[in-house]
Amino acid sequence: MFGLLPLTFALPFVMPQPGSWRDRDDAHNYTCTFMTLEQAQLARPGAVRPRGPRGDLYERDVVLCQERMLPLGLRLDADEAILSTLDARVSELAGAARSRRPDLEGATWLVEVYYPSPAVSAKIGFATKNALMAEGLGVSDRTPTLAAGDVQVITRMPPSEAYPTACRRYTDNGSLGAADVLLAVVLLDRQETALHAGLCAAGSWTWLR
Amino acid sequence: MIPWLLSLSLAFAADPAEEAQRVELERARAQVADQVHLAVFDLIDELVYRLSQEPVFSSPTPVVLAGVSVPVGLGTGLQALMENHLAGVMLANPETNLRLVHCPQCTAVVVRSSAKGTVVSRGVDDPALLAELGVEAGRHALFIDVEAEGAFLVLRARLTELSAELPIVWSHTLSTSTATPALLRDPTALKSAEEARAEYLNVLNGQGAVVIPARVNVRTYALPEGDNAGTAPPPFIWLQTGVELSPTVARRWTSSMMLGYALIPQAYQGLMAQARISRLVTGQARSLTHPDLYLFGGLSLSTVWGPGTASFRNNTLTLDEILTDTNLDEPRATFGAVHVGAELRLGNRVGFGFFLETLPSFTSSRNFGRYATLGPIEAHSLGAEVAFCF
Repeated sequence: MFGLLPLTFALPFVMPQPGSWRDRDDAHNYTCTFMTLEQAQLARPGAVRPRGPRGDLYERDVVLCQERMLPLGLRLDADEAILSTLDARVSELAGAARSRRPDLEGATWLVEVYYPSPAVSAKIGFATKNALMAEGLGVSDRTPTLAAGDVQVITRMPPSEAYPTACRRYTDNGSLGAADVLLAVVLLDRQETALHAGLCAAGSWTWLR
Repeated sequence: MIPWLLSLSLAFAADPAEEAQRVELERARAQVADQVHLAVFDLIDELVYRLSQEPVFSSPTPVVLAGVSVPVGLGTGLQALMENHLAGVMLANPETNLRLVHCPQCTAVVVRSSAKGTVVSRGVDDPALLAELGVEAGRHALFIDVEAEGAFLVLRARLTELSAELPIVWSHTLSTSTATPALLRDPTALKSAEEARAEYLNVLNGQGAVVIPARVNVRTYALPEGDNAGTAPPPFIWLQTGVELSPTVARRWTSSMMLGYALIPQAYQGLMAQARISRLVTGQARSLTHPDLYLFGGLSLSTVWGPGTASFRNNTLTLDEILTDTNLDEPRATFGAVHVGAELRLGNRVGFGFFLETLPSFTSSRNFGRYATLGPIEAHSLGAEVAFCF
């Protein structure tokens, strides 16, 4: 009972949620994960007291909070939304691509990213290639190309037509061979933070998500 | 701090941005880069460590460092640091079998025009053009990317064969978090995180503030010279033990208090109390991998007795004194000494030292010579010692 008193007073200083001692912006710079005692002992060896041989007097769980590597405000919010969860996003995309088309496991996978910022685009491409490699797929650094005339026409089309058309042209001009498959990661709308993906194989375009 | 950064970024996003605010934002970015660069180095060390444990190639293979990119929002200064560190660690670990080569054509932007059109790309993206430029075949390109993803810093690496199809032959992803301290590994002796932690715990467990040394030392006394020269005392072998204290685990300063005992049957016995203070001179903190050199100075108080201690007096020994000492009263002497010396410690476990000692009460004795004279101080005794620390 009396042990709860210091805990009650200490919590506002320790816990990262906004409150009297921590403003909202400050709290946003923490990411917190709820985990069991066993998981916490693996994540932070030595930091969490192990469960006693006869169990504990009370149930204990762990909330592990960590400060962001880069404070909010150092890059654009849209980029931050993509980059802060990049690994999970590309792993999901790679998994979805492989499970959707198991027949393409022996193909050579190429990756293209359509994102407004070249720097972020390169990051997404790099992460996607690594995620595909982690799925056990054969990946190439090659980039399929379009002729200047194709680009002029395709960039005037709406996305629903542009990507299938580009896919056909990649195949027709030979830059995407019969054993190649292109995974395109696309930001369709600058107002959204969801990444879409499509597959181009044998001149046929399929939206993954 | 963070609201301040946020307000600066919003100000930066506004158009036109104030120059002063932009400078402040850049300063804030440099500060963050300063904070994350150790974590980046740690990831690079881990990457090279893994490559050295499981090399991608079975023989040394030329590799072009084709791209190193830093987290979006941080500057190119960090990129230069990363490139230098990566090159340094790879050169120090040739067992990775990745031989870094210089290839300006590979990293330059090249333009190629043909009947199909004009393509602008980097050299590594157009292997056919590299071949035309005379770049030898069989090279690979290493790409490194580091990105801040929430609380984690993620390093991705891939190796691409510079052939027509540009196949990726190897890739790897590593991450560390803000709550993980950098291991600061020695590039020439990379360790896994588990090994580094075990070493760290060994240091903490085995090298506290108090160490119990056991020393064996031998003192020899300088032979007196000139007319009326007496007889120098015999060499003394002392066994000492006590405590050695240090205010910090860095062990830059240490002090020891020791008790000693000397015994040569039929010759002498002795007791000694000694205090010593030592200063590390080979760095700011003791090393885990290299010997440490300490300079020390101290005081001692000794009492010795037995036939072999008759020379611890100021006058020259006479035949009568020798006979009297042998048959009746055993000679006994109590004296103080001041010593200075140096000690080489190995892993703070074993130490080898030597010292010079002056005995102020025997400065005018005819039984003591001098090994050296440091100003008004005469070194009457020279000693060597071996210490084992527990």
